Amino acid sequence: MTTLPPPAAGSGPEEVPPLPPPFAPPSETTVDTNNQRLDDGVNRCPMCGSTEIQLRPSAGLLICLYCRHEWAEARLDAKIETEGVESLTGTIVGSGATDIDTGVDTVVTMKCGGCGAEVVVNTAEQMGARCHWCRHTLTVNEQIPNGAVPDAVLPFTITHDQAVAKINEFAGKRRMFADRAFLAEFTPENVVGVYMPYMVIDANASADVGGVGEIETRRYTRGSGDDAETFYDADVYAVERHVDFAVDDLTIEGSAQRADMNTSVNTNNVINTILPFDTENAVQWNANYLNGFTSEKRDQDVDHTMPELEDQLLSIARSQVLGSLNSYDRGVRWERERLEVHGSRWLAMYLPVWLYSYYSERGGTAMVHYIAVNGRTGEVMGSVPVSKPRLLAAALTAGTFIEGIVLAILAAGR
Amino acid sequence: MIAFVLGVLLAAERNGGVLLILGPLGGAGVYLMLFRYYRNTDKSHAFESETRITAQPITGSDVKVDEIKGTRRSEIEGDNHKQHRKRVQRVT
Repeated sequence: MTTLPPPAAGSGPEEVPPLPPPFAPPSETTVDTNNQRLDDGVNRCPMCGSTEIQLRPSAGLLICLYCRHEWAEARLDAKIETEGVESLTGTIVGSGATDIDTGVDTVVTMKCGGCGAEVVVNTAEQMGARCHWCRHTLTVNEQIPNGAVPDAVLPFTITHDQAVAKINEFAGKRRMFADRAFLAEFTPENVVGVYMPYMVIDANASADVGGVGEIETRRYTRGSGDDAETFYDADVYAVERHVDFAVDDLTIEGSAQRADMNTSVNTNNVINTILPFDTENAVQWNANYLNGFTSEKRDQDVDHTMPELEDQLLSIARSQVLGSLNSYDRGVRWERERLEVHGSRWLAMYLPVWLYSYYSERGGTAMVHYIAVNGRTGEVMGSVPVSKPRLLAAALTAGTFIEGIVLAILAAGR
Repeated sequence: MIAFVLGVLLAAERNGGVLLILGPLGGAGVYLMLFRYYRNTDKSHAFESETRITAQPITGSDVKVDEIKGTRRSEIEGDNHKQHRKRVQRVT
């Protein structure tokens, strides 16, 4: 980014040119991200044929519990084009991120490849089940429009023990003013590994912002002593900025419940805070990555998420133009903004979060407090319920101390 | 910082009563600071800086439209150039 030269002084008032016209609405195309190697039902270890497969987080690999063979699904960027964000046009949607058809049942019936029995799985709650006859593990891998199977999954690499240690450290720094019941019931070993649904979006966009900026030209004081007052002279400018930019892997919640960031009624913001993930390392879907973990199903489509995407793109644009405003030492008041998304690519992903939750109910108000650990980077953030009596006591002590200093100063000045 | 604020207020104070509000303000500040440290209600993903962004050079215009003489205001009214998430009128 280059910094614009300072505005020319002395130029007279001029009509600010209107913002350029918008582009035509983009078209939508779908890219197939189905893992062709896997079906719904029995999916065997490529080495020994067992279906006892699960993730080994310390390696980020799938492991066969019989022969100990380890492997990983192919990275998603080996399957589809994920580069060239700067030249994106239209709306490209992964087949795992297409609109959810509310008429499609979340319950999937699979035929066991081992014995022929029919096994029912509720994909709202789990992505696999054990055949009750032959004990084979069956997994759901085919993308149907119910939001259950995403385009990709990013496996856990932070282990349960590491997550417990991070939660302990986080809560350990917040003991003195914590709610006493929370401390008494604190059991970080109960942390649960959850694959959360997200929309991971590449976007190629342009933005224009317009407003008013001021540059100080003179500062002077009138009066003296206690009556001294500072006055300012300033030049006023009409300021317009334009930026073309590309954003790679912007990550937005794919669940309406998690996207609600009202901190007065929930603590979803702490889960949002542990973003970003190294989504470039996401792999093709294999439900075995979820064995031993829980997951939440996506319920948000592209259309639902678009307003949040546009909001974040506008924020990014405003952030990008900040460096070109250095000469406006009295600040800039942005008054209008415009965004044009030339192209976007949408992929649904399950991203790994270690989640410790604590249900708190005080004064008739219930809230679930989360402490969340990013299952890849280990970044931790949380909400620890506070003891209001202790907090009030601390505030009262501090206020009394400050007031004592003030009274001493006033007494000395008389 | 507290000394600075005290100094400024002391200089501006005319009847001696203004300073007395510092105690309650300080208490409220401590409450808010501790509450935020525990509850982290002000935290969210800093996508503006934590996402991979490739931006072309910024273009635009700066046109002088007016002059202000003798204002007591030390900064522009409604300064929002650092409040990236505060939306303004959306132009289509």
